[in-house]
Amino acid sequence: MNGLSRTRPPWLATAVVLLLSAAIPAAAATPGETIAGAARSVVKIYGAGGVRGLEAYQTGVLVTPTGHVITVLSTVLDSDTIDCVLDDGRRFAGRLIGADPRRELAVLALEGEELPALPLAADQPRLGAGSRVLALSNLFGVAVGDERVSAQHGVVAAVVPLDARRGAYEAPYRGDVYILDCTTNNPGSPGGALIDWRGRLVGLLGKELRASTSGVWLNYALPIDEVAKAYDDIIAGRATAPATTATERFDPAVLGVILVPDLLDKTPPFIETVRAGSPAAAAGLRPDDLLVAVNGRAVPSRMAVQQTLGGLAAGDPVHVTVVRDGMIVDCDLGPRPAREGGR
Amino acid sequence: MTRERNLRRVPSAVLTGLIGLLAVVVAPARAAGQAGVPGEVALAEEEAFRTAVAAVAGAVVRIEPGAAAATVNAGAEAAPSSGPSTGLVIDADGWVVTTAFAVPADVTETVVVFPDGSRGVGRVTGRDETRGIVLLRAAPLPAGIAPAAAWVPRGELAVGQWTIAVGRGWDATAPGVAVGILSALHRSWGRSVQTDAAVSPSNYGGPLIDIRGRVIGVLAPLPADTAGMNAGTELYDSGIGFAVPLEDILRVLPRLQAGETLRPGIIGIGYRSRDAVNATPVVAVCRAGSPAVRAGMRPGDRIVSANGRPVTRVADVRHVVAPLYAGDTVELGLERTVGDRPPQLLTVKVELTATLPPWRRTVLGIVPVRVAGGEGDAPANAADPAGVTVGWVWPDGPAAKAGVRPGDVVVAALAADADAGSEAQRIDAPAVLAGFVGGLEPGRRVVLTVRRDGAPVEVAVETGVVPAEPPTEVPAREGDPAAVRVVRLEAAELPEPVLAVVPDGDPKAPLGVLVWFDQPRGAVDGEAALRVWRAAAARHGVAVLVPSSADPQRWGREDIAAVARGLEALRGKRALDPSRVALAGSGAGGAFAWLAAERLGPGVRGVALVGAVIPRQATIEPAEPGRSRAVLFGGTVPDPAVRDADRQRLATAGYPVGTLPVTDGAGPPAEMLCSWIEALGVL
Repeated sequence: MNGLSRTRPPWLATAVVLLLSAAIPAAAATPGETIAGAARSVVKIYGAGGVRGLEAYQTGVLVTPTGHVITVLSTVLDSDTIDCVLDDGRRFAGRLIGADPRRELAVLALEGEELPALPLAADQPRLGAGSRVLALSNLFGVAVGDERVSAQHGVVAAVVPLDARRGAYEAPYRGDVYILDCTTNNPGSPGGALIDWRGRLVGLLGKELRASTSGVWLNYALPIDEVAKAYDDIIAGRATAPATTATERFDPAVLGVILVPDLLDKTPPFIETVRAGSPAAAAGLRPDDLLVAVNGRAVPSRMAVQQTLGGLAAGDPVHVTVVRDGMIVDCDLGPRPAREGGR
Repeated sequence: MTRERNLRRVPSAVLTGLIGLLAVVVAPARAAGQAGVPGEVALAEEEAFRTAVAAVAGAVVRIEPGAAAATVNAGAEAAPSSGPSTGLVIDADGWVVTTAFAVPADVTETVVVFPDGSRGVGRVTGRDETRGIVLLRAAPLPAGIAPAAAWVPRGELAVGQWTIAVGRGWDATAPGVAVGILSALHRSWGRSVQTDAAVSPSNYGGPLIDIRGRVIGVLAPLPADTAGMNAGTELYDSGIGFAVPLEDILRVLPRLQAGETLRPGIIGIGYRSRDAVNATPVVAVCRAGSPAVRAGMRPGDRIVSANGRPVTRVADVRHVVAPLYAGDTVELGLERTVGDRPPQLLTVKVELTATLPPWRRTVLGIVPVRVAGGEGDAPANAADPAGVTVGWVWPDGPAAKAGVRPGDVVVAALAADADAGSEAQRIDAPAVLAGFVGGLEPGRRVVLTVRRDGAPVEVAVETGVVPAEPPTEVPAREGDPAAVRVVRLEAAELPEPVLAVVPDGDPKAPLGVLVWFDQPRGAVDGEAALRVWRAAAARHGVAVLVPSSADPQRWGREDIAAVARGLEALRGKRALDPSRVALAGSGAGGAFAWLAAERLGPGVRGVALVGAVIPRQATIEPAEPGRSRAVLFGGTVPDPAVRDADRQRLATAGYPVGTLPVTDGAGPPAEMLCSWIEALGVL
């Protein structure tokens, strides 16, 4: 890894980016030309897997002419040999040179020169909902050898923080992603290129995950600026520890709010009693009030109340929204104490 | 290449106008995805999508899940989804349209999040249960809400036009966008339009708009056949989404605002065939106390028009009736054939109702001779194509009391208090007699014309309720036990053949069918099954299927599919009597028999549970003509209270529940079950 960062320092990436972006036409190409141009940089990746429903293949994108491929970090890369097949059928052995476990991205190195790369332009503004996009990936592994990866089209449906899981596995990345109106949640798609209709790389297709709240399968991509940050960190050898996902819970009893006992999986957070003299009493909360939001975040369950309070820093103002007699009532509870029990 | 030249290369693209600086391209569908279309068009369309979404965004709100919903519904099934959903503000007084997915039945208020992030309480004022639409009142609205103003009349919609699905489930403050085309116009029996834009829990309740930002309809999980609260939600990622046209919602808006619950309208008839797509709409049953009876409809009537539209298939009738509500009136044109005279045409006005009086199967106590047929067919009487031959009469039943004898051939039936001058209905198949009797309530006098020794005789029979307990003795067929074999039923897509114990004999002599689910233990031993079932199968002419469980630990869905295919295979080898098909089982197999009967549908006429109770996940639909089954309970269960509760539920739903006198651990009650199969044919 050190050797690589010596031969190709991070500033060079930026230089290459500027050079290449200048060469991209504004909007002249037909979609066919746009797709053909970008697909040259999309790599079919074959590695470990093939058991227990885990695929042994995924997609990656060449981001430097000297053979750096960005892809998603997955069990596919848990292999001594990672086969990388380019658009023209050339086959390279990929070497894993580093990974960002929080964003779940990895960089592979191919031994090549003057390879067709799509620049990682980190300075692009984020796309908004409704932006048209194209997804290029080896979904279901249907493209082999010099066959071009599949192109799909759609729009960005929403830009929201990722809250996703697959079974017991919870995605560590909690930043914004592009939710896509495009069925990219398929075996083989992770690591594929998300491009705009001008042919620019705008994101990287994410893993096969479900939304934590609704359970629907997610079609999403990591925005290009996050991808570029991960790339720069990996190339520079910076350690990127996974974010702590387990939020500390904070009992609202500390604020004087005693909720009804937790009898069901998702007990609605009704207030059972309000302790006299507490911040809750001062704010006017009453028994039988139903908590619906803490600091603007919906709290459909007792646990959600504890987690949302736990996610605040000590001293952050606590603002709760309750339903009382069919009306919405907002209350300020003042700063959140540092620790439970006031220690 | 210039932009102008490029545009001319799109032969059918039509420039419909300019919104600001952008060209809006409608038609053909997804044209911009084709090679050769300039990128400028795609980008102009992208601007058009954004402009359209912006036009409606001020009317789209988030509906919070969970908490408020649970205030009035403490049950375990309070909220079907824990994710947020969407609603559409349709006027400045705070009326918000959303779906039953976001606000399940019994929920009276929910939390609405407005685009500025503020919250309000939405009170449920009305429900449209035919379309899964719920009307909320969330007043006062905060500043900045712009209720949806422009909408598209149904008549202007065209398959292939751009459609954009807008929701706030992903993000309360920025609208989520999915783009597609209009896929079809008359879906869900005329209640919805279809789009290939991604429709999911996040945008249920949100608007489907056209490229000009006008509302087409409200996105809803509306499947072709509405069954259950969450039906249709599994389609979210399949390229199939539905929207209820706003035009239809606005038409009933005053009723929803007034607090009404609009329910599906029922005529109260059953058709002679369950094949809705192909079958001619011939009435088999008119439910007692139903709108059909009040309107003067009769079994045998053929529906030829509905609200002025000619109909030739059952599906045509459904297309007209399904969009209607209880209380609406439908005008049906009927063709009625009486005797040998030419058919007469008449028109009836049927005022649809939401519910029918509870139905219990009515019988005369006649057990016809066995008649072969496929599932759902109306089998013809092989012995006498002009009537139904009485095999035996139920001991002490109405027919026995009236003097009906084995060997009599029922050729006509007339309800004694029918309109003066109406003629008897000709009876030419057991299914016709079943339909006739099923439409009568118990205690009605029926005059049967039977042919006895070649001469017509009239017999008056009073209808009774189907007996819960099978008779202690039924006439046996006394086949040769030595001529019973284990048959391996093979079918495509069936990994392992299904074993069946089948009496040899005339392939045209109809057999009854029993499927026996034992405790799951993987592969079944054919020889052991033969020892258990041989004598009873021969004695009563019953084929006994003994399926293996794919998983040695438990019965599963794939085992039901195997049984269905096994039955098909058996039907290819031997004549089967469709009125004598039952499932039974012991322990886990007994509970599973109930589930299998639910999935296999109305073709199953009886279920027997030995040492088992009805599984908790089972639904007990009220009995209806064509959907009633005899139930027997036998053996002991750990908690007798659960079984008592089962009996109560079944009785309330109108099912006859009897007792199977078996001792625990004695093995399958082969003789009792096989004689019961014979008795299931009672009419």
